[in-house]
Amino acid sequence: MSLALKPGELAVIAGPNGSGKTTLLEALAGLSRLTVGERQYGAAEHPDDWLANSHYLGHKLGNKANLTCAENLAFVAQMNQVTCPQQDIEAALEQAGLAGHEYQHASDLSAGQKKRLALSRLLLLGKTYWLLDEPFVNLDHAGCDWLYAIIECHVQQGGAVLLSAHDQQRIHDLADHHITLQPI
Amino acid sequence: MQFWSLMKRDVLVAWRKKSNLYQPLVFQLLIVTMFPLGLGAGAQTLSKIAPAVVWILALLSTLITLENIFKDDYEDGSLDVYVLSGMSLSLAALSKATAHWITTGIPVVLFAPVIGMLLHLPGHAYGILMLSLLLATPIFSLLGTVGSALIMNIKNGGMLLSVLVMPLLAPVLIFGAGAVLETTLGNTAMNHLLLLLGCTVLSVTLAPLAAAAAVRINLE
Repeated sequence: MSLALKPGELAVIAGPNGSGKTTLLEALAGLSRLTVGERQYGAAEHPDDWLANSHYLGHKLGNKANLTCAENLAFVAQMNQVTCPQQDIEAALEQAGLAGHEYQHASDLSAGQKKRLALSRLLLLGKTYWLLDEPFVNLDHAGCDWLYAIIECHVQQGGAVLLSAHDQQRIHDLADHHITLQPI
Repeated sequence: MQFWSLMKRDVLVAWRKKSNLYQPLVFQLLIVTMFPLGLGAGAQTLSKIAPAVVWILALLSTLITLENIFKDDYEDGSLDVYVLSGMSLSLAALSKATAHWITTGIPVVLFAPVIGMLLHLPGHAYGILMLSLLLATPIFSLLGTVGSALIMNIKNGGMLLSVLVMPLLAPVLIFGAGAVLETTLGNTAMNHLLLLLGCTVLSVTLAPLAAAAAVRINLE
């Protein structure tokens, strides 16, 4: 397979369980090394910029169970060297439908709310490239609608999104690129 | 900046999970009460073995806390957050070791006199006991970071971690317990303490590099 993802584009990876969607996304994110094939960057970009410009969200959401929602977001922002005042964090949580949960521990959230908390990082960090592994899993209808809205908005504003999804006809309709993986 | 954020988070997480904080101390207290029962309560016998026992207890009680240094982050995915932040992994490992030392090492150092007292450690040895542990607890945390990074994706890797880390900690035990023993015998502990300091410096410089390599290996 080959894929060129430019700013303003949305690419969707589909394929049955075990076909390597997560492996591909992890390798592209920079978490693991590509054993076959290569990853090239835009002419103006240095490989180090990739980490600074991209955000990967996998199955393991990365929320610390005994930190509050606001603390979780603040930590991710600090690690990504994004300065964000408390009101930005609250605004991101509110957009994600977690208003009023700022001081609740992540362990007390439902599965869908945990996903929303993780997704709210995307709004806070403002990275260009989003790599999302099954972002619709665990979200309710309203959550899916919200995620569609932020993805569309991000793409329109010149961002690029690469995500894997099952049974989400709507996202396939929106996508600029379709990749279908087959298990070997 | 990233160093402090990660350390602050780890200390906060440990602080919220109180059992992590007092587990090593309760462990030490439980075992030390067994010694008079098993050996007979003769103050002379106890004070003879006190330097070794206090030290071994400090070592073992720290050992049981090492497994989770990286494992928790690996399991909940927050490891990805700092791996992908572009932060140097060695720096991340040093930051995590520092946080572990603050939440486990310092309490162990402060608690050592209590254990010493229960074993009739001679009065003039307490200063050297605390000083030797102050030099050695960072080594426990740093080597623990390496071990924890190696076993982070193994279920029940605690035993493997002990087997990996224990031989590396043997010299530390020899110099540390030796320093306290020499003091109780009225000799100078300087040689032992300097060797211990050497071990501390060596692990501060090398352990983060090894831990970073171990994290990389496990992610691939």
